[in-house]
Amino acid sequence: MNLKTLWRTLVAGAALALVFSLDVGSAQAAGGDQKFNSVCAGCHSIGGGKRVGPDLKGVTDRRSEAWLLKFIKSSQTMINSGDPDAVKVFNEYNKTPMPDMAQFSEADIKEILEYIKGGGGGGAAPVMAPATPAEIKLGGELFQGIVRLKNGGAACNSCHHVTNDAVIGGGVLAKDLTEVFTRVGGTGVGAILGKPPFPVMEAAYKDAPITPEESRALVGFLQDVDKKRAMQTPKDYGNQLVLGGTGMFIVLMGLYSFAWRRRKPGPVNQAIFDRQVKSQ
Amino acid sequence: MDIRAQVSMVFHLDKCIGCHTCSIACKNIWTDRKGVEYQWWNNVETKPGTGYPGKWEDQDIYKGGWERGDDGKIHLKGAGKGKGLANIFHNPYLPSVEDYYEPFTYNYLNLIEAPPGDDQPTARPVSLITGEPMDVQMGPNWDDDLSGTPDYARNDPNLKKLSPAEQEAMFQLERMAFFYLPRICNHCLNPGCVASCPSGAIYKRGEDGVVLINQEVCRAWRMCVTACPYKKSYYNWHSGKSEKCILCYPRMEAGYAPACMHSCVGRIRYLGVMLYDADKIEKTASMPENELINAHLDIIQDPFDPEVIAAAKKNGVPDSTIKAAQNSPTYKFVKEWGMALPLHAEFRTLPMLFYVPPLLPVMASVTETDGAQKSKLNPIAKTWTDNWLYDTSTEELWGTIEQSRFPLKYMASMFTAGDEKAMAERLKKLMAVRIYRRWKTVGDIDEAKVNQVLKDTHLTKDECESIYYLTSLAKFNDRFVVPPAHREQAIEMLEFTGDVKGSTGFGFRQKPERGM
Repeated sequence: MNLKTLWRTLVAGAALALVFSLDVGSAQAAGGDQKFNSVCAGCHSIGGGKRVGPDLKGVTDRRSEAWLLKFIKSSQTMINSGDPDAVKVFNEYNKTPMPDMAQFSEADIKEILEYIKGGGGGGAAPVMAPATPAEIKLGGELFQGIVRLKNGGAACNSCHHVTNDAVIGGGVLAKDLTEVFTRVGGTGVGAILGKPPFPVMEAAYKDAPITPEESRALVGFLQDVDKKRAMQTPKDYGNQLVLGGTGMFIVLMGLYSFAWRRRKPGPVNQAIFDRQVKSQ
Repeated sequence: MDIRAQVSMVFHLDKCIGCHTCSIACKNIWTDRKGVEYQWWNNVETKPGTGYPGKWEDQDIYKGGWERGDDGKIHLKGAGKGKGLANIFHNPYLPSVEDYYEPFTYNYLNLIEAPPGDDQPTARPVSLITGEPMDVQMGPNWDDDLSGTPDYARNDPNLKKLSPAEQEAMFQLERMAFFYLPRICNHCLNPGCVASCPSGAIYKRGEDGVVLINQEVCRAWRMCVTACPYKKSYYNWHSGKSEKCILCYPRMEAGYAPACMHSCVGRIRYLGVMLYDADKIEKTASMPENELINAHLDIIQDPFDPEVIAAAKKNGVPDSTIKAAQNSPTYKFVKEWGMALPLHAEFRTLPMLFYVPPLLPVMASVTETDGAQKSKLNPIAKTWTDNWLYDTSTEELWGTIEQSRFPLKYMASMFTAGDEKAMAERLKKLMAVRIYRRWKTVGDIDEAKVNQVLKDTHLTKDECESIYYLTSLAKFNDRFVVPPAHREQAIEMLEFTGDVKGSTGFGFRQKPERGM
């Protein structure tokens, strides 16, 4: 399995998990805005630009309602049946499949579409109050594990990396989060943190959920990272690390051979063994 | 005075025939497991030779034993607190498996299971360590009976003290001789292995002085392997613990002699208790080299001395052990008769295994004669065409000892830390007993001469008889005086037996119930 397929599978699984883990009952009871923000906003914005999926502003004008209903219910069925528009969107977004929204009735979907049509209740994605510097600092500390997450979850940099001079780099087990804010936006990050849609992350934080305050701090931090990413000058050690290690190894070997210069060099009867006839 | 009991051994080298039965008995009981195949807790070496592991006597290589510093105190040569800590993760003087030998077996199954082919199937040697086919480089007795002399016997570390001319003399074909040196753990009074162990896993048993490694505590630092100058502590590569000769303590506790001694064909081995003064250990081990032998023998106390007995009793030595000490054959050889010597006393571990040095190769000499003595022989006697004479005569009383085939210097290097006079004294005693017995049984020696011999060696006729008896006629119970183990006392040291009185043992703790 190549990386791309893996990533796709992960995202698809993640979206599915996100969908099924949400409280379906309350989503039905609520209006289109709530439904959109709790389910769709992880991947889509309304006038906020591309995320995992396309910006949905004006989508109701671009496509017919019937097409949208069909696509939202099961995008893969449409793609497989060879609908040209569906295939085009699918290819444009790195062939990342959109999960089937089986939990929404037709009426639900219409409500959501109504909400999108209305410009997302205000035209753009819901705006969060900008994080205070203290929150950004806390977010950085939480990210690195300097401050422990309240419920004992693993620090973000166990798996994730961000390019930021103030932070020690993190792991490479999961996606680089430097530009995550651009990709999924504040709501998306918040949604992912609240209910991780990725199987591994979901398992990791199942018994150790991130609190809303922590989530806010982390979102603030990631936004800050995203904003300042152009100004960062990450140090590239390059070959220095290898060369330094080799040099130190030679120094240590020299030191050891000096400290143990009087050691027993080998078998006392080596001269005899050298003379013996070998079978091979 | 701190009198303690020590089980000690005497090996009579004149009687050793080099059959290795002792080694086999030991191996079959203790070292036929995985990881210890290469270990020979008992081994028999040919001298001159490099032994097992190769050149073990050369402490410039292995750094074993103690050395006396300028301050007159002794320090471990290659281990101990400072050196041990500095080398704790890399012990630089360890013998490698090649120094012992890589243990091997043969792929015998191939002989009967090989598929049909053009060649006869063979049983290839297979390493017992890796399981892979291997080239046999060496065995535990590669230099047995002087085989490979240029490589082994010529490199005997004891030859270092001899001049090149003396060495050449030893290896002339006509003069070449060898004797056997059986070795087990010496169960020393000042053991280097115990002193070196960073884990405190090695201890000397209080009741009989047997040195043991606690397998639960051993952490495989292998400092004991370095510290033992006799290389009698071995590392078990499978279990990751070190092991050594245990003097068959389970057998001894049951009243048997250790397996190597029990099985000895030449009956060269003697075992008995000796009482020693533990207060003197440090002082004795720190003596200058020329006083070492006498100091070592002085630490052993007279088991008949009432003061010694009282001190021993005060220390909790049981009466039965004191009685065993009084009957000890080793005490007789070592102290009473002064015939047995420790091996390499200069290692300063105060070994408690003593050797009666070999006289046989010493006594005879090869000279060229005019052939006159042949005319005295019976016509059916086998004679040689040349006039060389293998001369075992005792005409010249002590001359042959000084001109012996093994230079005194060589023997002294092994048994008396270089003291040739002390060495000659022991050999003379051995010879004196022979002269006495020859006078008694053959009668071709003048009694005046015998008396002169006994006077020179400070022996009496009765003593000669006793030496002769213990050397040649001794029965099992004369050779091995194993002290009763008194396991009940060992238990009492750990717990108060009154606590369990009436609650364990035979009988019912509850009344038996019958029926449903």
